[in-house]
Amino acid sequence: MRYALLVLGGPYSHQAAHSALRFAHAAIARGHRVETVFFYHDGVYNASHLSAPPQDEPHLVDAWSELRRTHGTALQVCVAAALRRGLLDAREAERHGKSGASLEPPFELTGLGQLLDISQTHERLITFAP
Amino acid sequence: MLLHLLNRAPSSSPVHQDVLRAMGEEDGLMLIEDGVFGAVSAQVKHFPGLEGRLFALREDLEARGLAGRCDARVIIVDMDGFVALTEDAQRTVSWF
Amino acid sequence: MSEVSETPHGDLLVILRHAPHGSLWLREALDLALVGAAFGQSVSLLLMGDGVWALLQGQGSGPLGQKGTQSTFEMLEMYDIERLYIDIDALEARGLTRDDLLLPVIEVPAPALSAVLAGHRQIVNF
Repeated sequence: MRYALLVLGGPYSHQAAHSALRFAHAAIARGHRVETVFFYHDGVYNASHLSAPPQDEPHLVDAWSELRRTHGTALQVCVAAALRRGLLDAREAERHGKSGASLEPPFELTGLGQLLDISQTHERLITFAP
Repeated sequence: MLLHLLNRAPSSSPVHQDVLRAMGEEDGLMLIEDGVFGAVSAQVKHFPGLEGRLFALREDLEARGLAGRCDARVIIVDMDGFVALTEDAQRTVSWF
Repeated sequence: MSEVSETPHGDLLVILRHAPHGSLWLREALDLALVGAAFGQSVSLLLMGDGVWALLQGQGSGPLGQKGTQSTFEMLEMYDIERLYIDIDALEARGLTRDDLLLPVIEVPAPALSAVLAGHRQIVNF
């Protein structure tokens, strides 16, 4: 089946992102495709390129990027939720006169309409909340 | 049939009451994260009438030291079993 | 205000369980509902728990100019979001009646809640 995950919880503060990652790998192991992870609300912090957790903790940003690399999962971040929380890609950083970007590929800024599209095109949408 | 996910302990949040009121007669309830505190024998009374459709995630029980304290009325599933439940349910609703 | 009569149905059900001002949950949930309606989806809202406070009359903005949600609710009809379900027990538990509310709503008694959920193709719970 085609799965999408909606992550509403920020990294480390809550278990939501860890649960979503565990679920993604379990779904793939059962033969499903996890085609999209959409980050909304505080979930957008999962996309922070500047995240630097201690070495003995799971690195969530790297783990999401690895999911993209090995399974092609799209990592989509709601742009409105991201901008107000300081998550900007290079284009938005320039547009807002910021000195640096905090969000880099494979994460991509997109609109909420994309989440609605996902809910129609994927067979399962599972939400992980804080 | 819907699968409901709950990640709050009944001892810390009243949201489980809303879940129970919104559940259909065939719906399942999956306890994850802090929701698994509701699976211990002293707390499972908060989930009446769900025999055979009340589940708890094994790895969240184990991480919290609850593996031996989960009530017999709760069906323990691993991540693979969790995914299987979402295959069977048309939709999943998360409560937090 | 009316009670659930026809079988609830629609593309998207957004469940609102948070009150305005204390967090961004309500606003970001409404954003999703509005975008859904703008995309031509049939969108319903269901207010449960503290979400029912969102319909109280006389709300304002915060002292720093933080936006509330009253004006958004007042525009729902314009956005073609016509079905606004409310958990009647949650309303009564907070000492509210239909006369306190900004908008006409469809009252849902507890036994009918599951039918509201089952009637929608997609459910996002905030």
